[in-house]
Amino acid sequence: MTGYRGWATLGVAALSAVSSMAAAQTGGDHPDPAQVQHGKMLYADHCSHCHGFNMVSAGNVTFDLRTFPRDQRERFFESVTNGRDNRMPPWGDVLTQDEIGDIWAYVCTGGK
Amino acid sequence: MKRLFIVAAVATLLPLGAQAQTADELAKGASDTKNVLNYGMGYNLQRYSTLTQINKESAKRLVPVWNYSYDDNRSEESQPLVYNGVVYVTTNSATMAIDAKTGHQLWKTKVEYPPETPRIVCCGIINRGAALYDGKVFRTTLDANVVALDAKTGKELWKQNAINFKDGYSMTVAPLVADGVVITGISGAEFGTRLFIDGWDPATGKHLWRTYTVPAKGEPGSDTWAGDSWQHGGGSTWITGSFDPELHTVYWGIGNPGPFNAAVRKGDNLYTDSILALDPQSGKIKWHYQFTPNDPFDYDSVAEMVLADIKVGGKPTKVVMDANRNGFFYVLDRTNGKLLAANKYVKVTWADKIDMKTGRPVETDVAAKARAGEKVVVYPAILGGKNWEPMSFDPKTGYAYANTLNFGGHYKAIPVDYKAGDWYVGMDLSDIWEWPQGPRGYLKAIDPLTGKAKWEQPSDLPRFSGVLSTAGGVVFSGQLTGEFEAFDADTGKKLWHFQTGSGIEGQPVTWEQDGVQYVAVSSGIGGVYSLFSGDERLKNIPAGGSLWVFALQK
Repeated sequence: MTGYRGWATLGVAALSAVSSMAAAQTGGDHPDPAQVQHGKMLYADHCSHCHGFNMVSAGNVTFDLRTFPRDQRERFFESVTNGRDNRMPPWGDVLTQDEIGDIWAYVCTGGK
Repeated sequence: MKRLFIVAAVATLLPLGAQAQTADELAKGASDTKNVLNYGMGYNLQRYSTLTQINKESAKRLVPVWNYSYDDNRSEESQPLVYNGVVYVTTNSATMAIDAKTGHQLWKTKVEYPPETPRIVCCGIINRGAALYDGKVFRTTLDANVVALDAKTGKELWKQNAINFKDGYSMTVAPLVADGVVITGISGAEFGTRLFIDGWDPATGKHLWRTYTVPAKGEPGSDTWAGDSWQHGGGSTWITGSFDPELHTVYWGIGNPGPFNAAVRKGDNLYTDSILALDPQSGKIKWHYQFTPNDPFDYDSVAEMVLADIKVGGKPTKVVMDANRNGFFYVLDRTNGKLLAANKYVKVTWADKIDMKTGRPVETDVAAKARAGEKVVVYPAILGGKNWEPMSFDPKTGYAYANTLNFGGHYKAIPVDYKAGDWYVGMDLSDIWEWPQGPRGYLKAIDPLTGKAKWEQPSDLPRFSGVLSTAGGVVFSGQLTGEFEAFDADTGKKLWHFQTGSGIEGQPVTWEQDGVQYVAVSSGIGGVYSLFSGDERLKNIPAGGSLWVFALQK
């Protein structure tokens, strides 16, 4: 019983990871709405105090994420995980790669 | 031989004498026109100078004398200090000494903090300035350290860690040296922290005392916090206090409670949104007054507590005054904390008035609905009727000159869970502004006892710069669009402006050297409004920090 439930959980997790990768790799053109919603919450908690509420920013002090090139998923993961230019702090020890994927899905919506 | 010895002894003493800022000098800072020795241009934080060379008639002849690059593109909110012809100024990333006449750098000491640090800084990567005392420059760092540097060389003399920054603590405050103690505040109320004020020994950095702004269970005031809510109760202290050397009392403003959602922390929540009168040598609380009990709206009360001796009801009175974020302008007797006046200076809808007998706000339906969990439109918004940008008080005109905010907010409390180092706000941040059609800010000349404005100068984008007033009848301030401006203190008429290249969020100061009056201000955008307003009109205002110094054209 325990084993069965464990496998089921793993299966769901694997499916979720696959869908997350699919959405992210297509540049988030058709992201899972639940993933976007989770990404939006994570963005509000971790990103909004520099990049603006709802991703709305003048872009003169911090990066305007609405203009982040959607074909540069790897660059996004690298910047969020390891930080950038001693300005963007690293989040690799706080956010999992799946969570960063959810934020990427939200970023790909342009905040709309 | 004897003469040689004396010469050698004098030579040894001289550099020390030239560098040593004494307690007496600091106490006379407000009237010392040759130096700028204190944050706020005096222990009273009046930001007023008796200098008159730059006046209503001559201000139009102001020209830049020099510009100094901070090599930093964050928000520049630091107030320069000036001592014996040397300017001392800070950014988040360095402390610098500059020749006041030529603008040449004398030394620069970098601040290095871990790359994770900006994660826990809520409202801009900044520093607000240094303190000078006994040949040392004291400052704080974003990763919650207090540092002492040799004023002559910039060499680090001591460094003390206040607390682990990773849990949500940061330091941007300019220290205060009062009665021989270095006093520092701290930020972090948006991260579920419990905050404090510290006292340090200037010579060694030894930690002398810590006064928490939120009492622990069993301490006086702890019955104003339901359950364990005090543990994440906030109460930041990120603006430098004022000091009355005769009363040996420091006046420090205390920030908002955490989280914003007031329902999870029932009670008045002392000493958040309060003023504390402290003994600088022990940190002991002499008295307190709370502006906004059980605050749901982020009416943080850290901003400057300005000291003045004014007539109240015809009687000369030692007062402390505060243009509070909650929209009321308060005047208190600073000897005992008694409330003398509390009047609206901007649009206020959360409270009708302050009950002068109890000192408590009389709340409106707007506040009741917000407390019941409904979404409301409320004035002021979470940035307040005035944010941190310090006002000036001109004892000659009797007016306070303040950059006020003219917009409301949308407020809805939501549930929140605490996780160390994460935002702990409990407010729906997806739709928070109620913008007006016209100006979002006014520079106002406010009567402290009535809250009424004698004049007001609108601006489409609100001003987030400090204000300086002088006996020359000139009021200085700056725009987020970069203009450094001079106004007639009596009428508000604009006398002069100069484009500084980035937005101004700094604190103007003035001093005199060799018969010339100088005015200085930091330029460099990146503070709370540019981060949170979503005001895309700022997109053509470049970042880039520098210090500008002006004087009259010869």
